[in-house]
Amino acid sequence: MINSNIAEIRLGTASCGIASGAGAVLEKMQAMEPDFKITEVGCVGCCYAEPLAEVITKDGQSIFYGNLTADEKCLANIFNLSEAGRFSEPEQRSSKMLPRVLKLAGRIDPISLEAYRKAGGYHALGKAQEMAPEAIVNAVKESGLRGRGGGGFSTGMKWSFLAAKNSPEKIIICNADEGDPGAFMDRSLMESVPHQVLEGMLIAAAATGATKLFIYCRAEYPMAIRNLKIAIAQINENKLNVIKGRTIEIIIKEGAGAFVCGEETALIASLEGKRGTPRFRPPFPTDSGYHQLPTMINNVETFGNIPLIIDEGAAAYASIGTENSKGTKIFALAGDLKYPGLAEVPMGITLREIVFDIGGADPENVKAVQTGGPSGGCIPVELFDTPIDYDSLRSLGAIMGSGGLIVIGKNRCMVETARYFLDFTRRESCGKCTFCRVGTTRMFETLERITKGEGKPEDIDFLETLGNQVRKGSLCGLGQTAPNPVLATLRYFKNEYLDHVEKRTCTALECNALVKVKLDQSKCVKCKLCIKSCPVGAISSDFVIDADKCTRCNSCIELCPKKAISRYPNE
Amino acid sequence: MSNSAENNTFEFILDGKTVQAKAGETVLEVARREGITIPSLCFNGKVSHTTSCFVCVVKDCKTGKFLPSCAARPAPGQAIDASSDEVKSMRKTALELLLSEHSGDCEAPCTMACPAHAAVEEYVRAGREGDWLKALKIIKERIPLPMSIGRVCPRFCEKECRKNLYGKAVSINDFKRLAADLYYREYVEELPEDTGKKVAIVGAGPAGLSAAYYLRLNGVKVKLFDQMPQAGGMIRYGIPEYRLPKNDILDVELDHFRKLGVEFEFNAKLGENLDLDKLSAEYDAVGIAVGCWNSSTIRCNGEELATPGIDFLRDNILSGCKLANPGKTIVIGGGNTAMDCVRTAVRLGAEDVSCFYRRTENEMPAEKIEIHEAKEEGVKFEFLIAPTNLRRENGKLILTCQRMVLGEPDASGRRRPVPQPGSEFDTVADTVIAAVGQNTVMPDGIKVNKYGYAEVTAGGKVEGKIFSAGDCVSGAATVVEAVAGGRIMALGMVAMFEGKELTEPYTINVSRGSWRSMSTDDVVKIHDQVSDAERAALPLISLQERKSTFKEVAGTMDPATLQAEGKRCIECSCTDKLDCRLKKSAELCGACVDSICGRKNAKRIDIRHPQIVQDTGKCIKCGICVKTCKELIGKTLLSAQNRGFQTTVSTAFNAGLPTSCAECGACIDACPTGALDWKDKNRRKK
Repeated sequence: MINSNIAEIRLGTASCGIASGAGAVLEKMQAMEPDFKITEVGCVGCCYAEPLAEVITKDGQSIFYGNLTADEKCLANIFNLSEAGRFSEPEQRSSKMLPRVLKLAGRIDPISLEAYRKAGGYHALGKAQEMAPEAIVNAVKESGLRGRGGGGFSTGMKWSFLAAKNSPEKIIICNADEGDPGAFMDRSLMESVPHQVLEGMLIAAAATGATKLFIYCRAEYPMAIRNLKIAIAQINENKLNVIKGRTIEIIIKEGAGAFVCGEETALIASLEGKRGTPRFRPPFPTDSGYHQLPTMINNVETFGNIPLIIDEGAAAYASIGTENSKGTKIFALAGDLKYPGLAEVPMGITLREIVFDIGGADPENVKAVQTGGPSGGCIPVELFDTPIDYDSLRSLGAIMGSGGLIVIGKNRCMVETARYFLDFTRRESCGKCTFCRVGTTRMFETLERITKGEGKPEDIDFLETLGNQVRKGSLCGLGQTAPNPVLATLRYFKNEYLDHVEKRTCTALECNALVKVKLDQSKCVKCKLCIKSCPVGAISSDFVIDADKCTRCNSCIELCPKKAISRYPNE
Repeated sequence: MSNSAENNTFEFILDGKTVQAKAGETVLEVARREGITIPSLCFNGKVSHTTSCFVCVVKDCKTGKFLPSCAARPAPGQAIDASSDEVKSMRKTALELLLSEHSGDCEAPCTMACPAHAAVEEYVRAGREGDWLKALKIIKERIPLPMSIGRVCPRFCEKECRKNLYGKAVSINDFKRLAADLYYREYVEELPEDTGKKVAIVGAGPAGLSAAYYLRLNGVKVKLFDQMPQAGGMIRYGIPEYRLPKNDILDVELDHFRKLGVEFEFNAKLGENLDLDKLSAEYDAVGIAVGCWNSSTIRCNGEELATPGIDFLRDNILSGCKLANPGKTIVIGGGNTAMDCVRTAVRLGAEDVSCFYRRTENEMPAEKIEIHEAKEEGVKFEFLIAPTNLRRENGKLILTCQRMVLGEPDASGRRRPVPQPGSEFDTVADTVIAAVGQNTVMPDGIKVNKYGYAEVTAGGKVEGKIFSAGDCVSGAATVVEAVAGGRIMALGMVAMFEGKELTEPYTINVSRGSWRSMSTDDVVKIHDQVSDAERAALPLISLQERKSTFKEVAGTMDPATLQAEGKRCIECSCTDKLDCRLKKSAELCGACVDSICGRKNAKRIDIRHPQIVQDTGKCIKCGICVKTCKELIGKTLLSAQNRGFQTTVSTAFNAGLPTSCAECGACIDACPTGALDWKDKNRRKK
């Protein structure tokens, strides 16, 4: 009973879709229509609407159905092409986005070489096969592409270093150790369009004379690894890996989940089977990398940009973006906003557009945004009109990083936010350098003390001084950026630190030690839900909350039908 | 820029100065050649750099980046800053961070507690090993009167001994006493050539004697002047015979000073037959060590009828311990002098001897052992009473006292006694002795502080050529404190002779803490054969003899007993205390042990290997041991485990080091701290 106008039904079954229940949806859909082939695709970036299906009609229309459940009534909407259950991106959101690298993500079957080719895939590689290596390198240089992994170094320059090496063996590594919590564009690319990433790598091999390609992918990305493996097999079978007569080996190496292995020298050590710790540079990997061979490392998204540059030409690519940051950037939006997910936007867009137009955050309730993941910094809402690129973010004390973007609402305490992010980086320190190993631990302990209401006035100076020294006295990017959340919050939200330390209050009412939970008797309807829900029996039969017993777990606050219970500052 | 191609050298700028570097040289190598001191912990030039400690950082002036100089190679023309305050502050912070996670004891708590900082653990070890002469030599580096101090010291060291956690402290002072009794007579130090300098010291008590000793060891002539007919000061005239025999012990010690060429002049008193200006003119330096000979007031009417405690003790010595029986005796005071007085009175035949003290026994400043022995000898103690009046009636003394209660703690931390109105009562006595403390009477012309004691700066210097040490600087204190002060004064004088000022070198001491806040689980033992035996008992003469004679109460322990006692020593100090590069670098850079605080890693000490100890609490995680084993020895016995703050160096499956490692020890030599070391503290790292 399928609507006769339906040509294709695509269902997003990347990790994000599966996590929201796309597996059960697919099973149900197939049970309902066993004869109709559902196309499993990757992710279109609308996390908030998963599971998500797209119907392509015979007249070429695209109709989305979102937030699907494995329920016959819900899924029947799709097959009937009914008006009910349809989903469309809000106009203000879609108008600001510019999907170029992600153009095919969620639109084709990721593990079909044929689908990728049909969509124009491997056209760029064919073109590159015909080009002189210098011409490819120059095209990448002229495109202005900068490393999308966080460093922002010119990709073309990096390529030219490797190309200039006279060595019988040269190595290219794709850094797929996407470690920033909250960043998932690399995973999405590898799951949704693995061939696009591999094509970029093969073009790099053609440009630089590389003999072996590694993908260092975190083992926590099983679907990415599976899809890449399938794609590599297809490449080998179709001899797409024969570049200018040389057969290139592509190897996937699964990383064991250390954040620091995203740092290139640590990644190489790990690839060699050693403990993943960074080493002093120089020598740079292009001089002496994997087993002392000339080695070049680019990030997944960087490689994902390459086919585009070769296809459309450097000039067309460089027409998008700002003076020093060209092309588009994929941001992973999370935090206090309406539409979490991936957003590919042109460089130079403002934070205001990303956070409010694309992310749909409530302008009344945004305090700041954290860019660059846990090693980035926060930018207060007052500075949201800054056009963002690598350099403007750095000047604000934050970083582009890999493109994580976490919106921080007004109900978040910035000291606690800094403590939270630092807790991640200090755990992920490899333990080699004194400043990073001990310095971040001491900073964390100090923040913990402040959020527990035990801060001392001198703690603030201590954090500032030590934070800057940790930045300067660490070998790799992890230590050099770990103090960023602390230093940035100190820069923009010092008043919150002072409140904790001097007034012993947390204005955001987040730090439990500085907050009391109280019940407003005038609103109370004596329903006793709070008494029943309290795990520690802190609420008396006459509805008074014992502050000594209360653990500030919020369960009564969430349950109270009359909103009679709230958090108050400690007096 | 003159870059010479043929010898491959080039120029760059180091601390503003143009210097030459060979291709491939690191900044650290060039800096060391140029005489610029850069501390470094994780690099020794033998294995590839680890760039872990960041103690050797320098700054690239152009980029503002900090580089580990052990690995960074200069570029032609590059400007490097290796000595600015900013760079030094980075190094200091790196060291303070390392110290904040470092757990151990640079020095043993006993040594730290000793006012003279005698190397306690070392002389106990020498004694345990039967080398009593070596023990004596170690002791005399700080304590030149070990026969006396071996008898009368209140044992500061033993109060901090971690054996207290298990029962009683190691009987440390008895090691001093035995070592001195065995070898003091025969061992005479070799003296250096005379420098031509000469010093006069007024006061031949422990401080003056100590100063004389160290001056002689530095080739300085010394003459001691004393108001009394014999040398020794308080240890002769204050400490009773039964605690310190004068002929057999003190005179033996004093003979030694004569052997070292120290001259004495007696019955010489400043302001009477001795002139400070004359001494200053005649000598290159003058030391004032006149002690505290003035008894403090008991603040009651008729106190002149009471005998001052130290006068009583002095007169007894002068009489050859033959003072008349004082009859019914009351001693007022709770300190060691009061105990000396009550016990002396007992020995003079007094049958009824009491000690009146205005606080309780807990607050008594006297040594517990003294109180205990006085009680054994029949002395009665009355607490919480203070005298208000003393008068003579019919040949008897009538002492009026008032009852007290304890109030709030005073400045000394002891609870202040508060009088109870209407609680007065009278007691009859033949002799009342006031022993509530002493103070000094400084000779004219010496700068004093508001308490009347000599005002000294570093090295015991008062002003010009005048120095001072001992009780007249510190107020009445112990013999060992006087001896320590005398040594500092001597070193201060020697420094002045050399045209320098004595500056106390900056030192740090990491400590696991006082045993009072530890549990036995916190105690780190590098040997598993620390003896659990009871503390050796001090041999005492019979109570009858104690009460009726002035014979020495306690005897010297025999070598066998003390050698066994020495096995009780935990040997708390660090195996690497002489070579530890973390300590040396911290002292060089002025890093403090506790300016950055935080939690430490759980300690894990591995003593399974017969010769090697691995203490992860001391590890700075530089990984140099791992690289040494791998790159120099070709083995992979050590490796880093865990991440971040939890990083440790360990053996595979924590199986421990094989016994064959004892023949290598390359990792031990490379380790910058005591994290990997020989258990044998006599064995140094190469």
